[in-house]
Amino acid sequence: MICTGCALLCDDVIIINDSGNLKVRNACRRGAKLIANYKNLRADATINGKKVNYEEAIERVKEIINNSESLAIYGMDTISIEAQKLAIELAERKEAYIDDNSTFCLGDFVEMILKKEIPSTTLDEVRDYAYVIFYWGTNPFHTLSRHMSKFTYYPRGKRRQRGYEEDRFLVVVDVRRSHTAKLAKKNAKFFEVRDDLELIQAFIDALDGKPPKIFANDVFRVIKEMEKSDFNVIFGGLGLRYGLKGKYDKFLEMIRKMNERTKVYFIPLGCHPNMRGFNELLYGITGYVNKYSFKDKESKEDFAFYNLLFEEKIDTALIIGTDPLNSLPFEYAKKLAKINVIVIDPRENFTTKIADVVLPSAITGIECGGKMKRIDGVEITLEPMIEAEIDDVSIIKSILNLIMEGI
Amino acid sequence: MGITPMEIYKLLPKTNCKRCGETTCMSFAFKIINKEKKVEECLPLFEESKYEKQREELLDLLKPLEEATETGLIVDESKCTGCANCIVVCPVHAAEDPYGAGIGYGIKMENPILRVEDGVVKVENLKICRRYGKNRILCVACRENCPTDAITFLEG
Repeated sequence: MICTGCALLCDDVIIINDSGNLKVRNACRRGAKLIANYKNLRADATINGKKVNYEEAIERVKEIINNSESLAIYGMDTISIEAQKLAIELAERKEAYIDDNSTFCLGDFVEMILKKEIPSTTLDEVRDYAYVIFYWGTNPFHTLSRHMSKFTYYPRGKRRQRGYEEDRFLVVVDVRRSHTAKLAKKNAKFFEVRDDLELIQAFIDALDGKPPKIFANDVFRVIKEMEKSDFNVIFGGLGLRYGLKGKYDKFLEMIRKMNERTKVYFIPLGCHPNMRGFNELLYGITGYVNKYSFKDKESKEDFAFYNLLFEEKIDTALIIGTDPLNSLPFEYAKKLAKINVIVIDPRENFTTKIADVVLPSAITGIECGGKMKRIDGVEITLEPMIEAEIDDVSIIKSILNLIMEGI
Repeated sequence: MGITPMEIYKLLPKTNCKRCGETTCMSFAFKIINKEKKVEECLPLFEESKYEKQREELLDLLKPLEEATETGLIVDESKCTGCANCIVVCPVHAAEDPYGAGIGYGIKMENPILRVEDGVVKVENLKICRRYGKNRILCVACRENCPTDAITFLEG
C-alpha cells in the first residue's frame, strides 16, 4: 500500500495481518505507527463538545455556513486531490478565503517551480542521475526519514551504480549539526552557517570569479564537484525559506548562475503528504498557490489564514485535516475561540476539542483512496486497506449539496 | 559504546597463568569479545577471593555481550527512526537484492540481514553478514550511516 505519513508517499509498504495485529514492513517509524494505530484516538461527531449523530452534525454545519458572511477554508494538506477539488468548489460558491499550511511552509518555492522560475525534477531522476545533493535548511532524517535511503544519497541508480561511496556528493547546510549533517563524512561537506544569505552571496561571488567572504576553499570545492556532473539537485527546507528573509531573488540568482556552469535542479522538502497537490490544483484554477480570496479574486499576505484570524476578518473557519490550535502560535490560535469552528478530521486533536462542530472522516490512504501528489509533483494513486463509508469526499460533497439547496 | 579488549584485560588477573588454554590474558580478552571463550574459563578469577571485586565488575561489563548478536551487532530500537539507511548501504543487500534494497526500495529478498518492521530495524539473518563466521571482515557500513547510534558494535 501507499503510506501517507509524509510527503514521500512510499509505495513499497507491506501490511501483514497477524490475527488482528497489524505488522507494517518497510515503512519508517512515523508511517508504521500511523498505519498500525489507525483505530486509536478517533474523533466523534460533536456539536459544542456533545456527541451527536452524523446527520445532526452536518445539518448544523449547513446552518453555520449558510449564516456565515466571511468563511475561510483551511488545511486540506492531508486529504486527496478529489476532496481538495470539492473544497475549492465550496470556497468558490461561498466566495470564501482558502488557504493551506504551505503559506508558512514551502508554498513560495512551489509557486516558483510552477511558474518555471526555477528548474525542478522528480525524485526518481535524482536517484538515477544526481551527483551533488544539497540539503539546505532541512533535516530529512527526521522530517522525511526515508528520503536519503530511498531517493537521494544512498540508493544506486542507472548512472550512479556505485552508490554513496563514490557516485554521490552530499552537502548539508544548516545552523546546527543535525542528524543529517552527521552523515556528511566522506565525499561530503557540511556548512554550519549563521546566515543563509551570506553563503548564497559566497556562492554567487565564487561563480563570478571573486573570492568569497566565507568558506572560501569549501565553496570552490563544491562548485568543482558540481561541474563534474550534469545533474545536481538542491533540496530546500523551512530553514532556507526563513533564512532567505523574503529575498528570493538572491537565491534565484545563485541557481541561475550555477545553471550557467552545470545543471542544478531544486525540489522543496515539505512534510505534508498532499501539500503540493493543493498548490498545483489551486494554481490551475486561480493562478495562485495559496492564501486566495474568491471574493477579491486575488492572493496576498492579508488572506493567509493566520492573518485572517488575527485581524478578525472571518466569522467561520472550516478546518480540514489539520490542527491550527497546535501548529499556530497561541496569539493567533486563541482567536479561534471567537469564531465558529467546523473541523473535518479523522482523529481527535486540540482543535476538535474547541470546535463548534466536528465531522469525523476517514484517514486518506488507509480508509479511503484517491490521488495525492508527492513533494516533487508526481501523482500517486492511493491503495487503501479498507473503504470507509464516510470520507472527506462524501462529507464535502454533502455540505456542498446542502449549501446549493440554500442558494 | 562498545567494549574494548583492553577494558576486559584490565579486569583479568593479568598473571598469564595459561589455565584457560591461552598463552596470555590479553589473548583471552580478545577471545571473550569474539565469543570464542567464556569468562568462566578464567579459573583464578572465580576461585580466588581476592579477585571478587574485579570479577563482579567484569561480569557487569560483559552484560551487553550476552544481548549482542553473533557478529557483535547491537540494535537499540528506541533510537531507531526506521530510515533504512543501514539496509540500503549494506553491501550484502546491494549484491543479493539489486532491484530492492540496492535501489532504495523496501527489501525484496528472503531472509535479509536487517529488515524494517513496525518502524524500527530488526535483525533477521546474520549468517550472510560479512562479519559472520571464520573469514569475517570488520565491515561497519550500517553503523557509519546511523546518525542516532541505534546500531553499535561490541568492539566500539
